[in-house]
Amino acid sequence: MMALPISRRDLGLVSLAVVWLIVVVGGMAYTWRYKTIPGKAAAAPERWPAASELRRPSGRPTLVLLAHPRCPCSRASIAELARLQAVVGSRTHSIVLFLRPEGMPEGWERSDLWSRAAEIPGVAVVADADGREARVFGTHTSGEVLYYDRSGTLAYSGGLTGARGHEGTSAGFRTIVSLVRGERADRREAPVFGCSLDTKSAELKGRT
Amino acid sequence: MMTEANRNVEKLVRIADERFDAHRDANNRYTDRMLAYLLIAEWVFGVVLSLVFSPDAWEGKTRILNIHVPLAVLLGGAIVAVPVFLAFVRPGWTLTRHVIAIGQLLTSALLIHLSGGRIETHFHVFGSLAFLAFYRDWKVLITGTLVVVADHFLRGTFYPESVYGVTNPEWWRFLEHAFWVVFIDIVLVISCIRGVKEMRRLAEQSAELEAVALSHMTAGAA
Repeated sequence: MMALPISRRDLGLVSLAVVWLIVVVGGMAYTWRYKTIPGKAAAAPERWPAASELRRPSGRPTLVLLAHPRCPCSRASIAELARLQAVVGSRTHSIVLFLRPEGMPEGWERSDLWSRAAEIPGVAVVADADGREARVFGTHTSGEVLYYDRSGTLAYSGGLTGARGHEGTSAGFRTIVSLVRGERADRREAPVFGCSLDTKSAELKGRT
Repeated sequence: MMTEANRNVEKLVRIADERFDAHRDANNRYTDRMLAYLLIAEWVFGVVLSLVFSPDAWEGKTRILNIHVPLAVLLGGAIVAVPVFLAFVRPGWTLTRHVIAIGQLLTSALLIHLSGGRIETHFHVFGSLAFLAFYRDWKVLITGTLVVVADHFLRGTFYPESVYGVTNPEWWRFLEHAFWVVFIDIVLVISCIRGVKEMRRLAEQSAELEAVALSHMTAGAA
């Protein structure tokens, strides 16, 4: 019988390493799949909603970001908003709306995410009591950005990140920069990644 | 016919080879253990990161467990388990250091996930390659680099927006990202090759010193 070039023990260790590689690559693939499953898209009104209590300055585009104050994924959205503001500056009127769900005490929405958003120059931070504005704007997912042009027409709806809770260049970021600069934008929508703004959302159960 | 001088030279070369092999093996075993402890520390760090910065996710006013926690514990644990096991069960083995290289770079990828893709966490990749250079084996750096390139290539193919922010990037875009990894690789590979040469030179000098000492002792005894 021909002798093996390596011992039985080492053969076992090689097999273990192969199985390990398959398991960890599978785990990383699952992670990426999970991180790229978008949240429920907004059904935002095409024109700035009259029912909104937010003020839209005439002659300037308005950007509204709706966020859950405790969503860990939305840290990336706020970080991207800070980058975006550094590019677009005062050319847009930017508002971050932080959800305070019904029944939660006043101040519940003032999380570390609120503080981070408030530190971004040129950004107004507002509490969305009982999720009223979220309903008016038809949004369901934290991190949703709605960009209304200077005439009050919806020009973009979607996220600012390319994956769930992941900083870095995204289609949404590039689209808004193009719109602000008056260039042609490739798209009007992009997926949004973040926690659900709705308390009862069985289809999103387990996602952040 | 082999002369006395030839025999002495042959003996010298054999001693130098033995010293070199012993030194290289000791370095490999030391680095295996060092990186095993590092992998364990990184796993603990990842778990703490997930527990401190993102333990919960939310659905409106309902708090749920963030997937980052089980990912850090289970996937992070799986990534480090086999490299650490091999480092203690089979230190110094070629496969051990390549498995450690894969584990180290996958840990980088996981920490990037857990930190929300922060650009600062990407520096972990470069730190990891520098740690792997402790082996003074350039082939280990190639294995580590292949993990980075494969990660970018596969993500760029299946989830392009998550890497490049566009849905249809050019096929070569992953090479642009890999370029900086290759850049540091060039420096580290040169350092590894020089390190091995240095080890070889020290082994030869040590063998020569031993031969000289031995000849003096023989002459003294005569």
